[in-house]
Amino acid sequence: MNDVPVFFLHGLAYAGLLFLVSAGLTLVFGMMNVLNFAHAAMYMLGAYFSYSIMMRSTGRFWLSLMVCPVILFIIGALIERFLLRRVHKFGHVQELLLTFGLAYIITELVKWFWGNYPLAVNIGGTLGSTIPIFGITYPVYRIFIFLCAVFVGTVMALILYKTRLGIILRAAVNDSEMVNTLGVNVPLVFMGVFAFGAALSGFAGVIAGPLLSTFPGMAQEILIDAFVVIVVGGFGSLGGAVVASLLIGELQSFGVLLFPKLSIALVYLLMAVVLIIKPSGLFGEE
Amino acid sequence: MKRKSVPLIIIALFAAGVLMPTLLKQYYLNMLTEILIFSLYAVSYNLLLGYAGLLSFGHAMFFGLAAFSTAVAIIHIPGLALWNAILIGVATTVLAGFIIGSLLLRHKGSYFALLTLAFNSLFYAVATKWHSVTGGDDGLSIKRPALEMGFGSVSLASLTNFYYLTLIIVGAAIVFCWYFTHTAMGKTVLLMRENEERMKFLGYNTNISRLILFTFTGAVAGLAGSFYTLHFQFVSISAISVDMTTAVLLMAFVGGTKTFWGPILGAFVYILLQGYLSDLTDRWPLFMGLIFVFMVLFIPGGLSEVIMNVRQRLFGKKENNGKSAAAEEVPL
Repeated sequence: MNDVPVFFLHGLAYAGLLFLVSAGLTLVFGMMNVLNFAHAAMYMLGAYFSYSIMMRSTGRFWLSLMVCPVILFIIGALIERFLLRRVHKFGHVQELLLTFGLAYIITELVKWFWGNYPLAVNIGGTLGSTIPIFGITYPVYRIFIFLCAVFVGTVMALILYKTRLGIILRAAVNDSEMVNTLGVNVPLVFMGVFAFGAALSGFAGVIAGPLLSTFPGMAQEILIDAFVVIVVGGFGSLGGAVVASLLIGELQSFGVLLFPKLSIALVYLLMAVVLIIKPSGLFGEE
Repeated sequence: MKRKSVPLIIIALFAAGVLMPTLLKQYYLNMLTEILIFSLYAVSYNLLLGYAGLLSFGHAMFFGLAAFSTAVAIIHIPGLALWNAILIGVATTVLAGFIIGSLLLRHKGSYFALLTLAFNSLFYAVATKWHSVTGGDDGLSIKRPALEMGFGSVSLASLTNFYYLTLIIVGAAIVFCWYFTHTAMGKTVLLMRENEERMKFLGYNTNISRLILFTFTGAVAGLAGSFYTLHFQFVSISAISVDMTTAVLLMAFVGGTKTFWGPILGAFVYILLQGYLSDLTDRWPLFMGLIFVFMVLFIPGGLSEVIMNVRQRLFGKKENNGKSAAAEEVPL
């Protein structure tokens, strides 16, 4: 059977993408206690920007991989500074409503500018080719996605746990007022975190373009899976996001192989089981 | 608003509703029926959002579930009476509300919002894929069964007859929701939002209260969903999609979540605005979104708060002593 390694690698690639999306989501949620419903919409923006950049030549993939996160970083910073901060004092419901409304607007704008149909992004060069692995030939690009996720995850872990910035970030989660009193500009830190989350979603969007097609429903699709990752992994836990991404990526992949009719329900089933057994998620704190 | 004046207002509105078919053209009567149905849907949503402070992004799962189960029942059970079709629709939502509610009720705030969205997506995914039952992307077409009463049957083929049925049943359901907010259970929900710790301390099992409320609002949304199917004589997967949740969220929020009647006003404004904007531009959802974000930023109390404020200025109603308007105004 050659199927198993193929589906295993497919699962890894999707897990990588899921991690890239949910890492930003869980980071913002953990730090600022804001569940950003617009996160997946920003991921979609990243994919569409990348499409526009790469439209003329496929060789510009690296360019768009660098430019799109920067654009999204700026958009994220603006959203935090001028919109989210205004409603912060009204409480969670307002923040959720705001990000939900923004997601709605971004989706409509995308439909307006790029049209309500799928756009294909082709990847050329070495990334578009295949290599032999485990006795099968496999697309390089899917392996590249997984490696990207490993890279981003490692960098995030290093920043959070090995640098001075990381200490400030982790402290701000626990007691932002105290950190503020100690002379750290917490609002600026929050703006940075939110913008970084947006940049990460843009990065994920660029990566997703060639793997999945670019279409206005892509935000909704990944958002739900990313939410399930967060629920299963535990809210605000980076380690949980790693494990849950792998779990759900493989489940999605092998679900199609083993139970083709049930495959869409499997992910939700996993979520329901985790909710019953451990409502705070596998790595969540009570 | 004084409580004594409420029965008068209800009677006046109902009388106005009875006269409408003689005054309105078919097109507007159609719209009014739709507004009534969505008013009920928005009121049920506001019981969660405005009264209990629970932000759900999955209300369409109940609306759509009932819409589909009503349609499926009418198609597969020949000679099914209208009442039973509605009953089947509502019964499935009660069951679904109870099961989903017991999975969710430990979570609040962002967690609750996220999980409701996830469950809504599950329902949507199932409705899309289960083609043999739901018709998938094609949807289901039905014919309204006649209304069987003890002494004979009334055909609902004409819009006017169906409008009257909607006015009576949906109107009664809205009044019942209003009544619900004045029962002990309704008060418990309000107090739970304000101070859950204290309610627990006083011996209330807040999880069970929340489960009852969640199931109740689901069932009311289900009734609205059943009528939605009967009104359009068609149901598609859009009825169970997240867009349907967004619609009800917009209605409740634009109308104002701090009063009972806000969402009803919101449903009026939403349907009329949608009719008006969709004539002007294909991009009307974008304008809806912009209006919504603008209101979140600047008028979080919605239109009903604006009206209350204007009335306060004009007639000098007593100030609500600086407390949050919500606690004061919710009981109408």
